[in-house]
Amino acid sequence: MSFHAPDSQVFSNQSRMFGLIGHLTSLEHAQSVARDLGYPEYADQGLDFWCSAPPQIVDTIRVKSATGQVIEGRYVESCFLPEMLAARRIKAATRKIINAMAHAQKHGVDITALGGFSSIIFENFNLNQIHQVRNIKLDFHRFTTGNTHTAYIICRQVEQASRKLGIELSRATVAVCGATGDIGSAVCQWLNARTDIQDLLLIARNQERIQQLQDRLGRGKAMTLEEALPQADIVVWVASMPKGVEIEAAALKQPCLMVDGGYPKNLATRFNHPAVHVLKGGIVEHSLDIDWRIMNIVNMDVPARQLFACFAESMLLEFEKWYTNFSWDETRLR
Amino acid sequence: MPQLEASSTIDFHSEVYKDAYSRINAIVIEGELEANGNYKQLAESLPDDQAELIKLAKMELRHMKGFQACGKNLNVSPDMEFAQKFFSELHNNFQAAWQDGRIITCLLIQSLIIETFAIAAYNIYIPVADDFARKITEGVVKDEYQHLNYGEQWLKANFESAKAELEVANRQNLPLVWKMLNQVATDAEVLGMEKDALVEDFMITYGEALANIGFNNREVMRLSAQGLAVV
Repeated sequence: MSFHAPDSQVFSNQSRMFGLIGHLTSLEHAQSVARDLGYPEYADQGLDFWCSAPPQIVDTIRVKSATGQVIEGRYVESCFLPEMLAARRIKAATRKIINAMAHAQKHGVDITALGGFSSIIFENFNLNQIHQVRNIKLDFHRFTTGNTHTAYIICRQVEQASRKLGIELSRATVAVCGATGDIGSAVCQWLNARTDIQDLLLIARNQERIQQLQDRLGRGKAMTLEEALPQADIVVWVASMPKGVEIEAAALKQPCLMVDGGYPKNLATRFNHPAVHVLKGGIVEHSLDIDWRIMNIVNMDVPARQLFACFAESMLLEFEKWYTNFSWDETRLR
Repeated sequence: MPQLEASSTIDFHSEVYKDAYSRINAIVIEGELEANGNYKQLAESLPDDQAELIKLAKMELRHMKGFQACGKNLNVSPDMEFAQKFFSELHNNFQAAWQDGRIITCLLIQSLIIETFAIAAYNIYIPVADDFARKITEGVVKDEYQHLNYGEQWLKANFESAKAELEVANRQNLPLVWKMLNQVATDAEVLGMEKDALVEDFMITYGEALANIGFNNREVMRLSAQGLAVV
Protein backbone atom coordinates (compact mmCIF):
# COMPACT_ATOMS: atom_id res chain seq x y z
CA MET A 1 0.00 0.00 0.00
CA SER A 2 1.36 3.36 -0.97
CA PHE A 3 0.89 6.54 0.98
CA HIS A 4 1.90 8.63 -1.97
CA ALA A 5 -1.17 10.61 -2.87
CA PRO A 6 -1.60 11.97 -6.36
CA ASP A 7 -1.18 15.70 -6.73
CA SER A 8 -4.86 16.50 -6.86
CA GLN A 9 -5.50 14.66 -3.65
CA VAL A 10 -2.74 16.48 -1.82
CA PHE A 11 -4.29 19.58 -3.21
CA SER A 12 -7.86 19.02 -2.17
CA ASN A 13 -6.70 18.36 1.38
CA GLN A 14 -5.36 21.88 1.61
CA SER A 15 -7.93 24.27 2.86
CA ARG A 16 -5.76 27.37 3.01
CA MET A 17 -5.64 29.71 0.05
CA PHE A 18 -3.99 32.91 -1.11
CA GLY A 19 -5.68 35.49 -3.28
CA LEU A 20 -4.85 38.26 -5.69
CA ILE A 21 -7.10 41.22 -6.43
CA GLY A 22 -6.38 42.66 -9.84
CA HIS A 23 -7.95 44.74 -12.56
CA LEU A 24 -7.53 45.48 -16.24
CA THR A 25 -5.68 48.49 -17.56
CA SER A 26 -8.40 50.27 -19.55
CA LEU A 27 -11.96 50.01 -20.78
CA GLU A 28 -10.73 48.90 -24.17
CA HIS A 29 -8.58 46.23 -22.56
CA ALA A 30 -11.54 45.05 -20.46
CA GLN A 31 -13.76 44.79 -23.52
CA SER A 32 -11.19 42.78 -25.45
CA VAL A 33 -10.54 40.44 -22.51
CA ALA A 34 -14.29 39.87 -22.10
CA ARG A 35 -14.48 38.99 -25.78
CA ASP A 36 -11.44 36.66 -25.56
CA LEU A 37 -12.86 34.89 -22.50
CA GLY A 38 -16.14 34.27 -24.35
CA TYR A 39 -18.44 36.88 -22.77
CA PRO A 40 -19.66 38.89 -25.77
CA GLU A 41 -22.49 40.42 -23.68
CA TYR A 42 -19.89 42.12 -21.50
CA ALA A 43 -17.58 43.03 -24.37
CA ASP A 44 -20.00 45.56 -25.81
CA GLN A 45 -20.61 47.43 -22.57
CA GLY A 46 -19.29 50.88 -21.72
CA LEU A 47 -17.92 52.37 -18.49
CA ASP A 48 -21.39 52.54 -16.86
CA PHE A 49 -21.63 48.77 -16.97
CA TRP A 50 -18.20 48.26 -15.41
CA CYS A 51 -19.14 50.73 -12.65
CA SER A 52 -21.87 48.32 -11.57
CA ALA A 53 -20.24 45.00 -12.47
CA PRO A 54 -19.67 42.58 -9.59
CA PRO A 55 -16.26 41.13 -8.70
CA GLN A 56 -15.49 37.73 -10.17
CA ILE A 57 -13.08 34.93 -9.41
CA VAL A 58 -11.66 34.36 -12.88
CA ASP A 59 -8.70 32.09 -12.24
CA THR A 60 -7.57 29.28 -9.99
CA ILE A 61 -3.85 29.28 -9.41
CA ARG A 62 -1.47 26.55 -8.33
CA VAL A 63 2.09 27.34 -7.41
CA LYS A 64 4.71 24.70 -6.72
CA SER A 65 7.85 25.75 -4.88
CA ALA A 66 11.32 24.47 -5.71
CA THR A 67 11.00 22.15 -2.70
CA GLY A 68 7.73 20.67 -3.99
CA GLN A 69 5.27 22.46 -1.72
CA VAL A 70 2.06 23.31 -3.54
CA ILE A 71 -0.26 26.19 -2.70
CA GLU A 72 -3.55 27.16 -4.23
CA GLY A 73 -4.96 30.58 -4.90
CA ARG A 74 -7.73 32.57 -6.52
CA TYR A 75 -7.54 35.57 -8.80
CA VAL A 76 -10.31 38.08 -8.12
CA GLU A 77 -11.07 40.52 -10.93
CA SER A 78 -12.45 43.60 -9.21
CA CYS A 79 -13.87 45.14 -12.44
CA PHE A 80 -12.18 48.41 -11.45
CA LEU A 81 -10.93 50.41 -14.44
CA PRO A 82 -8.56 53.40 -14.29
CA GLU A 83 -11.12 55.39 -16.33
CA MET A 84 -13.30 55.46 -13.19
CA LEU A 85 -10.75 57.75 -11.55
CA ALA A 86 -10.39 59.90 -14.66
CA ALA A 87 -14.20 60.22 -14.94
CA ARG A 88 -14.41 60.99 -11.20
CA ARG A 89 -16.54 57.93 -10.55
CA ILE A 90 -14.74 57.71 -7.24
CA LYS A 91 -17.52 55.98 -5.33
CA ALA A 92 -17.68 53.28 -8.00
CA ALA A 93 -13.89 52.87 -7.81
CA THR A 94 -13.92 52.46 -4.04
CA ARG A 95 -16.86 50.04 -4.20
CA LYS A 96 -14.94 47.84 -6.64
CA ILE A 97 -12.07 47.41 -4.20
CA ILE A 98 -14.22 46.85 -1.11
CA ASN A 99 -16.50 44.41 -2.95
CA ALA A 100 -13.54 42.47 -4.34
CA MET A 101 -12.14 42.18 -0.81
CA ALA A 102 -15.49 40.97 0.53
CA HIS A 103 -15.66 38.50 -2.36
CA ALA A 104 -12.22 37.09 -1.57
CA GLN A 105 -13.05 36.79 2.12
CA LYS A 106 -16.40 35.18 1.39
CA HIS A 107 -14.64 32.56 -0.72
CA GLY A 108 -12.39 31.63 2.15
CA VAL A 109 -9.20 33.23 0.90
CA ASP A 110 -6.80 33.60 3.81
CA ILE A 111 -4.33 36.16 2.54
CA THR A 112 -5.04 38.42 -0.43
CA ALA A 113 -2.77 40.96 -2.09
CA LEU A 114 -4.27 44.19 -3.37
CA GLY A 115 -2.71 44.58 -6.82
CA GLY A 116 -2.35 47.57 -9.14
CA PHE A 117 -4.60 50.46 -8.16
CA SER A 118 -6.36 48.45 -5.46
CA SER A 119 -3.98 49.28 -2.63
CA ILE A 120 -3.59 52.88 -3.84
CA ILE A 121 -7.37 53.38 -3.73
CA PHE A 122 -7.66 51.56 -0.41
CA GLU A 123 -5.11 53.82 1.23
CA ASN A 124 -5.97 57.07 -0.53
CA PHE A 125 -9.67 56.91 0.28
CA ASN A 126 -9.23 55.47 3.79
CA LEU A 127 -11.27 52.39 3.04
CA ASN A 128 -10.10 50.97 6.36
CA GLN A 129 -13.03 52.93 7.81
CA ILE A 130 -15.40 50.47 6.13
CA HIS A 131 -15.87 47.33 8.16
CA GLN A 132 -19.25 46.02 7.13
CA VAL A 133 -19.96 45.03 3.51
CA ARG A 134 -23.45 43.60 3.12
CA ASN A 135 -23.50 40.55 5.43
CA ILE A 136 -19.70 40.35 5.67
CA LYS A 137 -17.54 41.90 8.34
CA LEU A 138 -14.24 42.63 6.61
CA ASP A 139 -11.27 41.09 8.37
CA PHE A 140 -8.33 43.29 7.39
CA HIS A 141 -5.88 40.67 8.69
CA ARG A 142 -6.61 38.76 5.50
CA PHE A 143 -5.25 41.47 3.20
CA THR A 144 -1.86 42.85 2.35
CA THR A 145 -0.84 45.65 0.03
CA GLY A 146 2.17 43.65 -1.12
CA ASN A 147 4.22 46.84 -0.86
CA THR A 148 6.96 45.31 1.29
CA HIS A 149 7.90 42.76 -1.33
CA THR A 150 7.54 45.28 -4.15
CA ALA A 151 9.92 47.68 -2.40
CA TYR A 152 12.35 44.86 -1.59
CA ILE A 153 12.41 43.66 -5.19
CA ILE A 154 13.01 47.18 -6.49
CA CYS A 155 15.95 47.59 -4.09
CA ARG A 156 17.44 44.27 -5.20
CA GLN A 157 16.98 45.29 -8.82
CA VAL A 158 18.91 48.49 -8.11
CA GLU A 159 21.72 46.55 -6.43
CA GLN A 160 22.05 43.84 -9.06
CA ALA A 161 21.50 45.86 -12.22
CA SER A 162 23.89 48.62 -11.12
CA ARG A 163 26.60 46.00 -10.63
CA LYS A 164 25.96 44.61 -14.09
CA LEU A 165 26.16 48.08 -15.66
CA GLY A 166 29.34 48.99 -13.82
CA ILE A 167 27.66 51.68 -11.72
CA GLU A 168 29.33 51.63 -8.30
CA LEU A 169 26.77 52.36 -5.61
CA SER A 170 29.38 54.02 -3.39
CA ARG A 171 29.84 56.64 -6.06
CA ALA A 172 26.25 56.73 -7.30
CA THR A 173 23.52 59.31 -6.90
CA VAL A 174 20.10 57.68 -6.63
CA ALA A 175 16.92 59.66 -7.28
CA VAL A 176 13.63 58.28 -5.97
CA CYS A 177 10.57 59.71 -7.72
CA GLY A 178 7.59 59.26 -5.40
CA ALA A 179 9.94 59.11 -2.40
CA THR A 180 7.35 59.74 0.31
CA GLY A 181 4.88 57.05 -0.77
CA ASP A 182 4.68 53.71 0.99
CA ILE A 183 6.96 51.96 -1.50
CA GLY A 184 9.18 55.01 -2.12
CA SER A 185 9.96 55.64 1.53
CA ALA A 186 10.72 51.93 2.05
CA VAL A 187 13.14 52.00 -0.90
CA CYS A 188 14.85 55.09 0.56
CA GLN A 189 15.18 53.44 3.97
CA TRP A 190 16.64 50.25 2.50
CA LEU A 191 19.11 52.08 0.27
CA ASN A 192 20.13 54.26 3.21
CA ALA A 193 20.54 51.44 5.73
CA ARG A 194 21.80 48.58 3.60
CA THR A 195 23.83 50.11 0.79
CA ASP A 196 26.60 52.70 0.62
CA ILE A 197 25.05 54.93 -2.05
CA GLN A 198 26.74 58.29 -2.20
CA ASP A 199 23.72 60.55 -2.58
CA LEU A 200 19.97 60.26 -2.31
CA LEU A 201 17.64 62.67 -4.14
CA LEU A 202 14.03 62.80 -2.97
CA ILE A 203 11.32 63.77 -5.44
CA ALA A 204 7.75 64.19 -4.14
CA ARG A 205 4.98 66.77 -4.18
CA ASN A 206 4.35 67.14 -0.46
CA GLN A 207 7.16 69.16 1.16
CA GLU A 208 6.04 68.34 4.68
CA ARG A 209 6.28 64.62 4.03
CA ILE A 210 9.70 65.07 2.39
CA GLN A 211 10.84 66.83 5.55
CA GLN A 212 9.56 63.94 7.69
CA LEU A 213 11.38 61.45 5.49
CA GLN A 214 14.60 63.46 5.65
CA ASP A 215 14.30 63.54 9.45
CA ARG A 216 13.87 59.79 9.52
CA LEU A 217 16.75 59.09 7.15
CA GLY A 218 19.05 61.80 8.42
CA ARG A 219 19.91 62.55 4.80
CA GLY A 220 18.41 63.06 1.32
CA LYS A 221 18.09 66.17 -0.83
CA ALA A 222 14.64 67.35 -1.87
CA MET A 223 14.51 68.22 -5.55
CA THR A 224 12.23 68.63 -8.52
CA LEU A 225 12.30 65.97 -11.20
CA GLU A 226 13.97 68.37 -13.65
CA GLU A 227 16.73 69.18 -11.14
CA ALA A 228 17.29 65.58 -10.13
CA LEU A 229 17.42 63.76 -13.47
CA PRO A 230 20.71 65.20 -14.82
CA GLN A 231 22.46 64.32 -11.52
CA ALA A 232 21.19 60.78 -11.08
CA ASP A 233 23.07 57.61 -11.99
CA ILE A 234 20.04 55.61 -10.91
CA VAL A 235 16.38 56.67 -10.94
CA VAL A 236 13.75 54.67 -9.08
CA TRP A 237 10.22 55.46 -10.28
CA VAL A 238 7.51 54.64 -7.75
CA ALA A 239 5.19 57.63 -8.07
CA SER A 240 1.46 57.37 -8.48
CA MET A 241 0.79 59.49 -11.56
CA PRO A 242 -2.12 59.39 -13.98
CA LYS A 243 0.09 59.15 -17.03
CA GLY A 244 3.74 58.50 -17.71
CA VAL A 245 6.32 61.28 -18.18
CA GLU A 246 8.27 61.89 -21.39
CA ILE A 247 12.01 62.25 -20.93
CA GLU A 248 14.81 63.11 -23.34
CA ALA A 249 17.78 60.75 -23.12
CA ALA A 250 19.98 63.82 -23.45
CA ALA A 251 18.73 65.04 -20.06
CA LEU A 252 20.14 61.94 -18.35
CA LYS A 253 23.55 60.92 -17.11
CA GLN A 254 25.20 58.17 -19.10
CA PRO A 255 25.08 55.43 -18.17
CA CYS A 256 21.77 55.73 -16.37
CA LEU A 257 19.77 52.93 -14.77
CA MET A 258 16.06 53.48 -14.40
CA VAL A 259 13.84 51.09 -12.46
CA ASP A 260 10.20 51.79 -13.23
CA GLY A 261 8.12 50.30 -10.43
CA GLY A 262 5.28 52.80 -10.75
CA TYR A 263 1.71 51.83 -11.27
CA PRO A 264 0.73 52.74 -13.91
CA LYS A 265 4.22 52.83 -15.45
CA ASN A 266 5.84 56.20 -14.72
CA LEU A 267 7.85 56.31 -17.95
CA ALA A 268 6.03 57.00 -21.17
CA THR A 269 9.26 57.08 -23.18
CA ARG A 270 10.87 53.98 -24.67
CA PHE A 271 14.56 54.75 -24.80
CA ASN A 272 16.59 53.70 -27.76
CA HIS A 273 19.91 54.70 -26.30
CA PRO A 274 22.75 52.31 -25.45
CA ALA A 275 23.56 54.06 -22.17
CA VAL A 276 20.02 54.33 -20.82
CA HIS A 277 18.80 51.13 -19.21
CA VAL A 278 15.18 50.76 -18.15
CA LEU A 279 14.03 47.86 -15.99
CA LYS A 280 10.45 46.94 -15.25
CA GLY A 281 10.43 47.35 -11.48
CA GLY A 282 8.65 45.24 -8.92
CA ILE A 283 8.24 42.21 -11.15
CA VAL A 284 9.46 38.79 -10.05
CA GLU A 285 9.96 35.48 -11.75
CA HIS A 286 9.24 32.09 -10.20
CA SER A 287 11.63 29.21 -10.81
CA LEU A 288 8.87 26.89 -12.07
CA ASP A 289 5.86 27.41 -14.31
CA ILE A 290 2.72 28.56 -12.49
CA ASP A 291 -0.58 27.02 -13.46
CA TRP A 292 -2.69 30.09 -14.30
CA ARG A 293 -4.04 32.06 -17.22
CA ILE A 294 -4.21 35.53 -15.85
CA MET A 295 -0.66 36.73 -16.48
CA ASN A 296 -1.22 36.31 -20.22
CA ILE A 297 -3.91 38.90 -19.88
CA VAL A 298 -1.71 41.43 -18.10
CA ASN A 299 0.96 41.07 -20.80
CA MET A 300 3.95 39.76 -18.87
CA ASP A 301 7.05 38.88 -20.92
CA VAL A 302 7.08 35.35 -19.48
CA PRO A 303 3.44 34.84 -18.46
CA ALA A 304 3.92 31.39 -16.92
CA ARG A 305 6.55 32.60 -14.46
CA GLN A 306 6.48 36.37 -14.08
CA LEU A 307 4.20 38.30 -11.78
CA PHE A 308 3.91 41.51 -9.82
CA ALA A 309 5.90 41.38 -6.58
CA CYS A 310 2.83 42.45 -4.60
CA PHE A 311 1.11 39.25 -5.74
CA ALA A 312 4.20 37.26 -4.89
CA GLU A 313 3.97 38.63 -1.35
CA SER A 314 0.66 36.87 -0.75
CA MET A 315 2.10 33.64 -2.22
CA LEU A 316 5.13 33.89 0.07
CA LEU A 317 2.89 34.46 3.08
CA GLU A 318 0.87 31.41 2.03
CA PHE A 319 4.00 29.27 1.61
CA GLU A 320 5.17 30.39 5.04
CA LYS A 321 1.65 30.07 6.52
CA TRP A 322 1.87 33.59 7.81
CA TYR A 323 -1.76 34.60 7.76
CA THR A 324 -1.29 38.22 8.62
CA ASN A 325 -1.69 41.57 6.89
CA PHE A 326 2.03 41.81 6.40
CA SER A 327 2.20 45.18 4.64
CA TRP A 328 -0.50 47.26 6.22
CA ASP A 329 -0.33 50.97 7.00
CA GLU A 330 3.33 50.78 6.01
CA THR A 331 5.85 48.36 4.60
CA ARG A 332 8.01 46.19 6.83
CA LEU A 333 11.21 46.92 4.93
CA ARG A 334 13.89 48.16 7.27
CA MET B 1 -5.48 61.19 -7.39
CA PRO B 2 -8.92 62.83 -7.42
CA GLN B 3 -10.60 63.37 -4.08
CA LEU B 4 -13.81 61.88 -2.82
CA GLU B 5 -16.44 64.60 -2.70
CA ALA B 6 -18.09 65.08 0.66
CA SER B 7 -21.60 63.74 0.42
CA SER B 8 -24.24 66.43 0.72
CA THR B 9 -26.49 66.17 3.74
CA ILE B 10 -30.00 64.96 3.05
CA ASP B 11 -33.02 66.98 4.16
CA PHE B 12 -35.51 64.22 5.02
CA HIS B 13 -38.33 66.74 5.37
CA SER B 14 -37.91 68.60 2.10
CA GLU B 15 -40.75 68.36 -0.41
CA VAL B 16 -38.41 66.86 -3.02
CA TYR B 17 -37.31 64.12 -0.64
CA LYS B 18 -40.84 63.36 0.53
CA ASP B 19 -42.13 63.23 -3.04
CA ALA B 20 -39.48 60.68 -4.06
CA TYR B 21 -40.02 58.80 -0.78
CA SER B 22 -43.74 58.42 -1.52
CA ARG B 23 -42.86 56.16 -4.45
CA ILE B 24 -39.84 54.35 -3.01
CA ASN B 25 -41.62 53.71 0.28
CA ALA B 26 -44.66 52.42 -1.63
CA ILE B 27 -42.49 50.04 -3.65
CA VAL B 28 -41.00 48.62 -0.49
CA ILE B 29 -44.42 48.20 1.15
CA GLU B 30 -45.86 46.62 -2.00
CA GLY B 31 -42.79 44.39 -2.37
CA GLU B 32 -43.24 43.02 1.15
CA LEU B 33 -46.96 42.51 0.55
CA GLU B 34 -46.30 40.70 -2.74
CA ALA B 35 -43.75 38.54 -0.93
CA ASN B 36 -46.29 37.74 1.77
CA GLY B 37 -48.82 36.60 -0.85
CA ASN B 38 -46.22 34.70 -2.87
CA TYR B 39 -45.00 32.71 0.14
CA LYS B 40 -48.56 31.84 1.10
CA GLN B 41 -49.19 30.52 -2.41
CA LEU B 42 -45.90 28.61 -2.35
CA ALA B 43 -46.96 27.05 0.96
CA GLU B 44 -49.96 25.58 -0.81
CA SER B 45 -47.75 24.09 -3.52
CA LEU B 46 -45.01 22.80 -1.21
CA PRO B 47 -46.84 21.09 1.67
CA ASP B 48 -43.61 19.67 3.12
CA ASP B 49 -42.32 23.20 3.66
CA GLN B 50 -45.67 24.69 4.61
CA ALA B 51 -44.74 25.70 8.15
CA GLU B 52 -41.49 27.31 7.04
CA LEU B 53 -43.17 29.20 4.19
CA ILE B 54 -45.99 30.48 6.37
CA LYS B 55 -43.37 31.70 8.81
CA LEU B 56 -41.61 33.58 5.99
CA ALA B 57 -44.93 35.03 4.81
CA LYS B 58 -45.62 36.37 8.30
CA MET B 59 -42.18 37.95 8.52
CA GLU B 60 -42.81 39.77 5.24
CA LEU B 61 -46.01 41.21 6.65
CA ARG B 62 -44.12 42.42 9.72
CA HIS B 63 -41.58 44.09 7.40
CA MET B 64 -44.41 45.77 5.52
CA LYS B 65 -45.73 47.25 8.75
CA GLY B 66 -42.26 48.47 9.65
CA PHE B 67 -41.94 50.29 6.35
CA GLN B 68 -45.42 51.78 6.70
CA ALA B 69 -44.21 53.23 9.98
CA CYS B 70 -41.17 54.70 8.18
CA GLY B 71 -43.49 56.56 5.80
CA LYS B 72 -45.68 57.80 8.64
CA ASN B 73 -42.62 58.97 10.52
CA LEU B 74 -41.77 61.31 7.64
CA ASN B 75 -45.41 62.25 7.06
CA VAL B 76 -45.43 60.65 3.64
CA SER B 77 -48.38 58.86 2.02
CA PRO B 78 -47.08 55.99 -0.09
CA ASP B 79 -48.18 56.03 -3.73
CA MET B 80 -49.51 52.46 -3.77
CA GLU B 81 -50.97 52.73 -7.24
CA PHE B 82 -47.52 53.45 -8.64
CA ALA B 83 -46.07 50.54 -6.67
CA GLN B 84 -48.65 48.03 -7.90
CA LYS B 85 -47.97 49.04 -11.48
CA PHE B 86 -44.23 48.84 -10.74
CA PHE B 87 -44.52 45.18 -9.67
CA SER B 88 -47.24 44.20 -12.14
CA GLU B 89 -45.10 42.35 -14.68
CA LEU B 90 -43.24 40.32 -12.05
CA HIS B 91 -46.56 39.77 -10.28
CA ASN B 92 -48.24 38.51 -13.45
CA ASN B 93 -45.33 36.23 -14.29
CA PHE B 94 -45.47 34.73 -10.79
CA GLN B 95 -49.21 34.18 -10.97
CA ALA B 96 -49.04 32.60 -14.44
CA ALA B 97 -46.25 30.28 -13.31
CA TRP B 98 -48.15 29.32 -10.13
CA GLN B 99 -51.31 28.55 -12.12
CA ASP B 100 -49.23 26.25 -14.40
CA GLY B 101 -47.52 24.60 -11.44
CA ARG B 102 -44.09 25.97 -12.45
CA ILE B 103 -42.82 26.16 -8.88
CA ILE B 104 -39.20 26.65 -9.94
CA THR B 105 -40.16 29.81 -11.79
CA CYS B 106 -42.13 30.99 -8.76
CA LEU B 107 -39.12 30.40 -6.51
CA LEU B 108 -36.82 32.23 -8.90
CA ILE B 109 -39.13 35.24 -8.98
CA GLN B 110 -39.81 35.41 -5.25
CA SER B 111 -36.89 33.82 -3.46
CA LEU B 112 -34.14 34.97 -5.77
CA ILE B 113 -35.20 38.05 -7.71
CA ILE B 114 -37.50 39.83 -5.26
CA GLU B 115 -35.40 38.95 -2.22
CA THR B 116 -32.17 40.00 -3.93
CA PHE B 117 -33.77 43.20 -5.16
CA ALA B 118 -34.87 43.95 -1.61
CA ILE B 119 -31.49 43.10 -0.09
CA ALA B 120 -29.67 45.32 -2.60
CA ALA B 121 -32.06 48.22 -2.07
CA TYR B 122 -31.93 47.93 1.74
CA ASN B 123 -28.13 47.63 1.82
CA ILE B 124 -27.74 50.77 -0.27
CA TYR B 125 -30.49 52.59 1.64
CA ILE B 126 -29.20 51.95 5.17
CA PRO B 127 -26.24 54.38 5.06
CA VAL B 128 -28.45 57.22 3.74
CA ALA B 129 -31.66 56.51 5.70
CA ASP B 130 -33.11 58.64 8.50
CA ASP B 131 -32.42 57.23 11.96
CA PHE B 132 -35.88 55.74 12.38
CA ALA B 133 -35.88 53.99 9.00
CA ARG B 134 -32.28 52.83 9.40
CA LYS B 135 -33.04 50.80 12.51
CA ILE B 136 -36.06 49.19 10.90
CA THR B 137 -34.27 48.44 7.63
CA GLU B 138 -31.27 46.93 9.41
CA GLY B 139 -33.57 44.47 11.13
CA VAL B 140 -35.38 43.64 7.91
CA VAL B 141 -32.28 43.01 5.82
CA LYS B 142 -31.11 40.32 8.24
CA ASP B 143 -34.40 38.48 7.73
CA GLU B 144 -34.24 38.83 3.96
CA TYR B 145 -30.94 36.95 3.80
CA GLN B 146 -32.76 34.05 5.50
CA HIS B 147 -35.51 34.15 2.90
CA LEU B 148 -33.00 34.14 0.09
CA ASN B 149 -31.40 31.18 1.78
CA TYR B 150 -34.68 29.25 1.75
CA GLY B 151 -34.96 29.53 -2.06
CA GLU B 152 -31.27 28.74 -2.52
CA GLN B 153 -31.48 25.61 -0.43
CA TRP B 154 -34.60 24.34 -2.17
CA LEU B 155 -33.23 24.99 -5.65
CA LYS B 156 -29.83 23.54 -4.71
CA ALA B 157 -31.46 20.33 -3.53
CA ASN B 158 -33.38 20.10 -6.82
CA PHE B 159 -30.71 21.66 -9.03
CA GLU B 160 -30.47 19.06 -11.79
CA SER B 161 -34.19 18.96 -12.46
CA ALA B 162 -34.59 22.73 -11.92
CA LYS B 163 -31.70 23.96 -14.06
CA ALA B 164 -33.43 24.24 -17.43
CA GLU B 165 -36.51 25.96 -16.03
CA LEU B 166 -34.35 28.35 -13.98
CA GLU B 167 -32.55 29.43 -17.15
CA VAL B 168 -35.82 30.12 -18.96
CA ALA B 169 -37.29 31.93 -15.96
CA ASN B 170 -34.13 33.99 -15.56
CA ARG B 171 -34.21 35.08 -19.20
CA GLN B 172 -37.85 36.05 -18.85
CA ASN B 173 -37.67 37.87 -15.53
CA LEU B 174 -34.22 39.33 -14.98
CA PRO B 175 -34.62 42.04 -17.66
CA LEU B 176 -37.70 43.21 -15.72
CA VAL B 177 -35.46 43.99 -12.74
CA TRP B 178 -33.26 46.23 -14.89
CA LYS B 179 -36.35 47.98 -16.18
CA MET B 180 -37.60 48.45 -12.62
CA LEU B 181 -34.23 49.79 -11.47
CA ASN B 182 -34.23 52.29 -14.33
CA GLN B 183 -37.76 53.35 -13.47
CA VAL B 184 -36.82 54.36 -9.92
CA ALA B 185 -33.29 55.56 -10.56
CA THR B 186 -34.19 59.26 -10.30
CA ASP B 187 -36.21 58.85 -7.11
CA ALA B 188 -33.54 56.64 -5.58
CA GLU B 189 -30.92 59.29 -6.38
CA VAL B 190 -32.94 61.87 -4.40
CA LEU B 191 -32.76 59.47 -1.42
CA GLY B 192 -28.98 59.27 -1.85
CA MET B 193 -28.99 55.85 -3.48
CA GLU B 194 -26.98 55.53 -6.68
CA LYS B 195 -28.17 53.33 -9.50
CA ASP B 196 -24.64 51.97 -10.07
CA ALA B 197 -24.47 50.82 -6.49
CA LEU B 198 -27.96 49.27 -6.60
CA VAL B 199 -27.23 47.30 -9.77
CA GLU B 200 -23.87 46.20 -8.42
CA ASP B 201 -25.29 45.04 -5.11
CA PHE B 202 -28.06 43.19 -6.93
CA MET B 203 -25.59 41.49 -9.29
CA ILE B 204 -23.33 40.45 -6.40
CA THR B 205 -26.10 38.94 -4.28
CA TYR B 206 -27.91 37.40 -7.25
CA GLY B 207 -24.67 35.92 -8.61
CA GLU B 208 -23.83 34.47 -5.19
CA ALA B 209 -27.28 32.91 -4.97
CA LEU B 210 -26.94 31.32 -8.43
CA ALA B 211 -23.51 29.98 -7.48
CA ASN B 212 -24.84 28.56 -4.21
CA ILE B 213 -27.59 26.78 -6.11
CA GLY B 214 -25.04 25.06 -8.33
CA PHE B 215 -24.36 27.16 -11.42
CA ASN B 216 -20.69 27.46 -12.34
CA ASN B 217 -18.89 30.77 -12.71
CA ARG B 218 -19.34 30.99 -16.46
CA GLU B 219 -23.06 30.17 -16.21
CA VAL B 220 -23.49 32.78 -13.48
CA MET B 221 -21.90 35.44 -15.68
CA ARG B 222 -24.05 34.45 -18.65
CA LEU B 223 -27.26 34.35 -16.62
CA SER B 224 -26.51 37.71 -14.95
CA ALA B 225 -25.85 39.31 -18.34
CA GLN B 226 -29.37 38.43 -19.44
CA GLY B 227 -30.59 41.27 -17.27
CA LEU B 228 -29.02 43.65 -19.74
CA ALA B 229 -31.41 42.58 -22.51
CA VAL B 230 -33.73 45.42 -23.36
CA VAL B 231 -37.42 44.84 -22.58
